Amino acid sequence: MSSSPVIETQALSKVFGPQRALDGVNLQVAPGAIGLLGPNGAGKSTLIKCLLQLQPITSGSAKLLGREVGREGREIRKRVGYTPEQDCHIPGMAGCEYVTYCAQLCGLPFQAARQRAHEMLDFVGMGQERYRKADTYSTGMKQRLKLAQAIVHDPEIVFLDEPTNGLDPKGQAQILELIQSLWKAYGITVVLSSHLLQDVDRICEQIIIIARGRVLVHDTLENLKAPKRGAAEVVVANRQHDLQAACEQRHWPCTPLPNGHLKIEHRAESLNPLLSLMHELKLAPLEIVPSPNALEETFVQALEMSHAAT
Amino acid sequence: MPLHDTNYQHWEGAHLGLWHRRWTIAENGLRACLQNKWMRHLVVLCWGAALAMTALLFLVGQLLVADSVVVQWVRNLNPDLQVFASMLTTWLEQHPEVSVRTTQDVLFYYFGTFLMSVSIFALGLAMPLLITRDLASNAIIIYASKAVSRGDYLLGKFSTAFGLLVLTWLGPVCAAWFVGNLLAPDWRFFWHSRVPLCHAVVYGLSSMVLLSLLALGVSATSLKEKSTGAFWFTWWVVGGVVAPIAAHTKPWLGYLSFNFDLDQLALAVFRLGDDLKIAQDNIPIFGSMLRNIRAETTAALNNPPIWGALLGLLLMAALAAIIVAKRVKPE
Repeated sequence: MSSSPVIETQALSKVFGPQRALDGVNLQVAPGAIGLLGPNGAGKSTLIKCLLQLQPITSGSAKLLGREVGREGREIRKRVGYTPEQDCHIPGMAGCEYVTYCAQLCGLPFQAARQRAHEMLDFVGMGQERYRKADTYSTGMKQRLKLAQAIVHDPEIVFLDEPTNGLDPKGQAQILELIQSLWKAYGITVVLSSHLLQDVDRICEQIIIIARGRVLVHDTLENLKAPKRGAAEVVVANRQHDLQAACEQRHWPCTPLPNGHLKIEHRAESLNPLLSLMHELKLAPLEIVPSPNALEETFVQALEMSHAAT
Repeated sequence: MPLHDTNYQHWEGAHLGLWHRRWTIAENGLRACLQNKWMRHLVVLCWGAALAMTALLFLVGQLLVADSVVVQWVRNLNPDLQVFASMLTTWLEQHPEVSVRTTQDVLFYYFGTFLMSVSIFALGLAMPLLITRDLASNAIIIYASKAVSRGDYLLGKFSTAFGLLVLTWLGPVCAAWFVGNLLAPDWRFFWHSRVPLCHAVVYGLSSMVLLSLLALGVSATSLKEKSTGAFWFTWWVVGGVVAPIAAHTKPWLGYLSFNFDLDQLALAVFRLGDDLKIAQDNIPIFGSMLRNIRAETTAALNNPPIWGALLGLLLMAALAAIIVAKRVKPE
């Protein structure tokens, strides 16, 4: 798999009247699962739209999959998938017709488009409801339909704008699992734009934080979590007090959280000391979350620095 | 549980070209139009009219066959019609080139203007399916994110409107001409009727292009399906009512009606005044019937205000193009 950048921008700017939506964005993004984070109105969607040529670029330049945005629009979009934030189905069309049509718009012959549409609808977990008109779908089904139309032509990169909006926790988990598999199992680069940190934390390897049209942070999740590596959130089925007492003996601050979990600051680079302790106590962890809230803290810090700078 | 593999599969096939994608947009739009029951009825009406036109051409041709049923039937008509038919027969026999051309020119003029009205009605029904619905449902953004440009999208939608007009207008005209002359007693009818066919096709094609452009413009004016349809029908009906009234007071008002302008285009293309003059000279009884027509009607037939009508149509088409350019954007 090529590791050349999938997204490259140089001094990319987009201006809407007096408002600067993107302000000199410079990026070199390698393939992977990429989280695009930022508060509402930060410029995440504008960046995606500029890359897809849905919005004209005011100044600067951008390359997507090695091709110049603005010159090779059709060729780029043939290899790119996109799920917009808002509903975008074509009224009167059944789900499978819609996905077939989207595949044809990318140049697939009708037979192949129809076959692939059904495969993708299977992949996103849609059953017989695919034969119903999309107008009648629930929010969850519409999100699945949007994902299916974005990947039906087998893109190399897919941009997902708030793909879990309006979903219940179970639906969110299913959609995130599918998105995660796109990169991990099938090698499709995923750019997930969201304001939900836990979604990004769960599936992304690279993080781009944008605020006020500027890139504040661009790094791997691992690097961002490194400074906060000495803490973990632990869930045990029973004998929580034993674990708490053992941590206190070792002078590891241990705080019970309102959700019943224990936050343990073990101050080590890896989880090994904590795991060894639990092994000694013969405690089986139900769940261990390393560096909890690291992304949230990084995000807040970045925003505060941005505010302070302005 | 699905019986087949539900994992993601990569696709290895070759992509089809740009014209295929444009055709996909047009075909999808046309299919959506034909899902409307009333639209299907209109298409059937147009092809029914084509059948009637074919029958009429067949009957005219049968006048030349001495022992045909038509000739015997004409003998039983009232005396005036009998005289008219016998004069037409004589003319057809003596000057087939001129008579066939003139007769079919007149017939195709009326057939074309009838089909124009039905086609305008059909476009009104199709109005929401052209651009309105895509604007209202944000589907524009999906088109824009696929391997088609805004120009491809608009070309596809234009082809939808044009394709619909082929079904309700150009198709019936060409079919009626072909089958009508195929059933004629003499193969030379095909050659003699080439001018009426050219007139019908030139008038049909130019009107279809302009109407398709106007329909796209109107379709992009609003996000509400009922509004764009209502706007189209109101423009058509009000224009049709205002144009004849305005002709006496403010003639320029008439040019704001696209159907009035298209009528002038038809008169200019078919040169109906010339045809009627030829018919008048060759069929005396027809001449005496035409003598009752008012002088201003004759003037309108001979010298239709074509330049004003063309200017009106071009301005409307330009306005439609501006509306479409302004409105059809992903955001």
